[in-house]
Amino acid sequence: MTTRFVALLLGLGLGAAGLLIAADGPDAPLTLAAAKDQGRAKSRFLKGAKEVAAAPDGAPQANVAHFRESIQPILQKSCLACHGPDRTEGRLRIDQLNPDLLTGPDVERWREVYGVLSKSEMPPADEPDYALADQARGQIVDWLSGELDTASRIRRQSQQHTSFRRLTNYEYNHALQDLLGLSYPLANKLPPETASEDGFKNSAELLQMSVMQFETYREIALKSLKRATVTGDRPPAVTYIISMQEELQRASAGDNEAKVFRTNEERYRQHKHQHHLLNRETGTGIPYGGGKVMPRPEAVVGQPTPVSPVVLVLPASTELKLDLDRFLPDEGIMRVRIRAGRSSMNPHEYASLRLVFSAHTSNDANFSEVISERDIPVTASIDDPQLIHFDIPLGDITRNPFRHLATTFPRRDEYLHIRNISNASRGDDRLQVQIDSIEISAPFYEQWPPKSHTNIFFESAQRQDEQAYGREVLNRFLKRVWRRPVSPAEVDQFMTLFDDYRPQFATFEEAMVEVLATALSSAEFLYLTQRATTGESPTAGKISDFELASRLAVFLWSSIPDAKLVELAEQGRLREPDILQAQVQRLLSDPRASRFSRNFVEQWLGLERINSVSHLAADDPLRAAMLEEPVAYFDEVLRQNLSVMDFLHSDYAMVNERLAAHYRIPEVYGPQFRRVAITPETNRGGLLTSAAIMTINSDGTDSHPLKRGVWMLKRILDDPPPPPPPSVPQVDLTDPEILKMTLKERIINHRNQPACYSCHSRIDPWGIAFENYDALGAYRTHVKDQPVDATSELFNKQTLSGIDGLKRYLLLDRQDQFARAMVHKLMAYALGRPLSFGDSAEIDKLTAEFRQRNDGLRDLIFLIITSDLFQSQ
Amino acid sequence: MTDKTHELSRRTFLRGTGIALALPWLETFAIGAAPKDQTPRRFLSVYHPDGVGLPLKSDPAWSDWSWFPRGGERDFVLTKVLDVLEPLRSDITIYSGLSHPHARNVHGHSNADQYLTGAPIGGHGPYRNTISLDQAYAEHAGEFTRHSSLVMSTNGGVGGPRGAQTQSFNREGRPIPAMNKPRDIFNLLFVTTGKDAATRLARSKSALDLLIENTRSLGRQLSTRDQATLAQYLDAVRDTEQKLAKAQRWIDTPIPQVDATNLHLDAEPKEARLYFQTMYELIYLAFLSDSTRVATFQLGRENGEGPHDLLSLAVGLGAAHGLTHEVKKPGGWQNLGTYNRYQAEEFGRFAQRLKDTPEPTGHGNMLDNTLAMHGSASSSFHLSRNYPIISAGGKNLGFTNGRYLKFGTGNEDNQAGAGIDTDAGWQSKAEVEELPLSKLFVTILQRLGVETDTFGGATGSLSRV
Repeated sequence: MTTRFVALLLGLGLGAAGLLIAADGPDAPLTLAAAKDQGRAKSRFLKGAKEVAAAPDGAPQANVAHFRESIQPILQKSCLACHGPDRTEGRLRIDQLNPDLLTGPDVERWREVYGVLSKSEMPPADEPDYALADQARGQIVDWLSGELDTASRIRRQSQQHTSFRRLTNYEYNHALQDLLGLSYPLANKLPPETASEDGFKNSAELLQMSVMQFETYREIALKSLKRATVTGDRPPAVTYIISMQEELQRASAGDNEAKVFRTNEERYRQHKHQHHLLNRETGTGIPYGGGKVMPRPEAVVGQPTPVSPVVLVLPASTELKLDLDRFLPDEGIMRVRIRAGRSSMNPHEYASLRLVFSAHTSNDANFSEVISERDIPVTASIDDPQLIHFDIPLGDITRNPFRHLATTFPRRDEYLHIRNISNASRGDDRLQVQIDSIEISAPFYEQWPPKSHTNIFFESAQRQDEQAYGREVLNRFLKRVWRRPVSPAEVDQFMTLFDDYRPQFATFEEAMVEVLATALSSAEFLYLTQRATTGESPTAGKISDFELASRLAVFLWSSIPDAKLVELAEQGRLREPDILQAQVQRLLSDPRASRFSRNFVEQWLGLERINSVSHLAADDPLRAAMLEEPVAYFDEVLRQNLSVMDFLHSDYAMVNERLAAHYRIPEVYGPQFRRVAITPETNRGGLLTSAAIMTINSDGTDSHPLKRGVWMLKRILDDPPPPPPPSVPQVDLTDPEILKMTLKERIINHRNQPACYSCHSRIDPWGIAFENYDALGAYRTHVKDQPVDATSELFNKQTLSGIDGLKRYLLLDRQDQFARAMVHKLMAYALGRPLSFGDSAEIDKLTAEFRQRNDGLRDLIFLIITSDLFQSQ
Repeated sequence: MTDKTHELSRRTFLRGTGIALALPWLETFAIGAAPKDQTPRRFLSVYHPDGVGLPLKSDPAWSDWSWFPRGGERDFVLTKVLDVLEPLRSDITIYSGLSHPHARNVHGHSNADQYLTGAPIGGHGPYRNTISLDQAYAEHAGEFTRHSSLVMSTNGGVGGPRGAQTQSFNREGRPIPAMNKPRDIFNLLFVTTGKDAATRLARSKSALDLLIENTRSLGRQLSTRDQATLAQYLDAVRDTEQKLAKAQRWIDTPIPQVDATNLHLDAEPKEARLYFQTMYELIYLAFLSDSTRVATFQLGRENGEGPHDLLSLAVGLGAAHGLTHEVKKPGGWQNLGTYNRYQAEEFGRFAQRLKDTPEPTGHGNMLDNTLAMHGSASSSFHLSRNYPIISAGGKNLGFTNGRYLKFGTGNEDNQAGAGIDTDAGWQSKAEVEELPLSKLFVTILQRLGVETDTFGGATGSLSRV
């Protein structure tokens, strides 16, 4: 649906100018806070059950009365002569079509009528007696488009949907990570997935299975298990130790002595803001940016060493580039441990470290990529430095393919860059990172055998008995993989496979890993199952306690349940209200809950579209900040149990330094997101005006009111507009008359065509209210020297004056709709299926409870989890 | 591939033709699903680094040693560089004015990687490639043969990012290692028994059996509606079994017997002629035995010492890459032209060999059913524009040969970037219009029977081809 709209919009070339639509400004604007209170007081959900019954989403009725009153007379006047009892052109009797499009049999005929009328093909141009005035044509087209849309929605929502589905790619990845205890991404190779109509990627019917998907699961399973487990003795590590004290001695030796400077010399000025080595006690130093280092065979990893006065000084945006030659192993974790501190503790300055890996194999054959997952802030003073470490899976990053060559060309070296990402770019005393030692070691293991290995191959008295121990291993592993107790017969099945494999492998572990990989490709791992229940039992239609445990974990952790949840399910206690409550609290407090915020928000708001915008580079720090904001915002509201109405407007914002600069919010320093109070003058607050949302709904150079309008209706109000009809006239840019028009005139010209009017008049005004935000969401008062006019009039004649007007209107009159939309979206995500008419009463009931509990987001999570819907199949 | 009608029509066909079952291509055919037409369609791409000689018109070397032909589509005249292809005139097509848009301002040294992919790999920083033309075809044709493709280069392996030593990249854009030792290639094609593969297959087979059994018992506990979802999983497992069964049958099928007495399997690049000819002969044998229908061959890597630089020894010249740098020295254009001429000669010899071999199905000769490409991602010095491309064969696939096809506008005489020997060339703004090479790739894929309208970021095929 969206894509078709976009195609239409591109044709329009919309967006260069604000739309000027005359309107009266509100006399004495209500503050938004007051609007929030007043709007809440109006809620029909707070006024008892009777009114609630008239839900907006209850099964709709055909608008036959309107047909009789307004449409039928027009049809009789202009169509009946040729399509009636006297003449029946095209075998169409307009007087015999059933006007009930929702349940009647004539939907397809009506669709044809709609087509020819919207294209102005009928009545024929050479029949002036039956000509149809634009206004009358618009009326018919309007009625038909509304009814056709409702009919298609009914069809969609009448379908029964199931929650039985396979895990999404990201859920599968997290499940594997949690299960095996590996922290890096494991599932990158899976074919990409698409989002459903309502934006969610976890919709059962979209989660298909194919040979390719299945084969990739098998491949990933085996590879991941091989990484989690080990054989034989601890492999010797390649260890580099870079002591800045030694580097200073080396760098100043021999002829280089002339380069040595002192901090009290005049020439120090030219070195001070470059990378250099410095003895903080004596004040001597030398320029230094890295160089060749070699492994030290005798080195012991993680050995504490005294802090040295000699440091590498790394100013903002500079890097240390170490040539590690060709000695890093192919696989395993590389741990980079850096002892670092800040040169000053000015709270307005921050610095963090980032790792880059590169090689330059020959002229113009080179690459470099960031290998650290996130920048790590340097917070300690250099007087009491901190240890920072990065763990990098060497098998997953781009390596120099020539590193094993016996000859020296193409070049075999690999480079590690340690980069200072900082905002300290001004002042003589600007913050620098200082490093006194670095240790690089691979393969690195915290312990031997690693925990990921002993999780699977644990200590046991039966260890020497392969049959007994094999059963033990399988029993434990299968239980975690299938999230339920396992029967001896099931273990037998896998033991048979093990017996089959065992002679082909040297060790028990290697053979067993192959068997375990098979379990990781089984349906019960890959799917969220729900076993059928019998009709008479009191639990009929309910999911089992184990299934509830899985549903909870997938909802809040995007993963499979941990041992605790499965244990409670096994004891049959998970449904006890106190226990369930405590478990939800536990899940939400776990770091894994951040996956929920991220995945839900990205899908709900459609943030993935940022990947297809052309006006913001993929590595722009603003882009990263933009994407983080809505997630951080949601997280804040969730953790504090704030009202979801804050999403519409709040007197605070979630920003980091980069985004704050974009929003012109002063005094925010550092890359981390935090809550800051804002004034109305910042023109922010809530999610609607987030830079990410403005950016994804723009056309690459300017705002795009239509996209923004569609986004509002779909994502916030849960009232998606119908797709443009197939016969909708494209904006004809080859027409010289149209080419002469300004963009605004083109929009109005397009909108005034009867086929377009009915939809556009419902969409455009929502988007025009955002005109004060440019293509990257920066606030503006002028476009091309013209003042922005962000005033528009909704279809219901409600005037929206800019973003304030829009927010005021939403807070005053649409709180119920938005609250219900939130319940609907979260429930669809929690269940992993689109909701149907059958769910609508339950959604209303939940919305009422939710509103009565003051719209708190955390409360809503509890409401959803304890609801019948969540606990049923 | 469980389609019963397929099985049936295949048997019908076998009876109908009465061709001896011993022919290798028929073994293939009996194993894969029935291809639409019974004659194999083959694809080869040969890549040579360093481009070609492109002197200015004002240069005395222009008339003899400029790579591109003179004249029009049919009445073109070959210069000394390509005159060795004159006997094959009616079987070849020469192209100009084609290049990959993303590479036009990237240094020629970095561009071998994207010749068959068209990916925007850029000149530095993070590196991502996409699927190559040959692999896109191999996805389609690979199941009919023992090897889905044969990937060869003089240097072997994958090379480095922006310094590829392979022309082939898989669906995920990862390089496929190239083979460079004739003996290894021969063993792979005609000797290897695949014992290891057999045990791996057997292991997969028992794993899948277990999963099917396990899934069935789960299915019995589900509602009818959910059983339908589970059926999709079961289908995927069963189809994977089918694929394994096919692979198993390849293991069981005898490897074609080829006499290696006359092959110089230990030839090395420094024995340039011998090495060249042996590699081409191996491609020929692979095609003849229908061991594969897809091959790529990269003659060395862009800029770098290595075996390929010795290939010019075949014509008594040293350091192939150096030839491009020394065009302004006395005899420079001639030296580069002479080496390019030699490359064309070997390519021509290979094409002639295919032409002289009747297609085992009786459908013309082997060249008629093969599209063989020869080209580079630069024309003039480090300049990634106006790729010098020759194709041979493909008559039965719909290619009309005996033509010089000029595309784009503004460079009809191939003088844009001519005569340069500095990096100012590739850094300069492209003043003439060229068409995306990927459009030719779309045409090639379509003619090979792949239903697609896009490749490497280009949509639509190339007219006139």
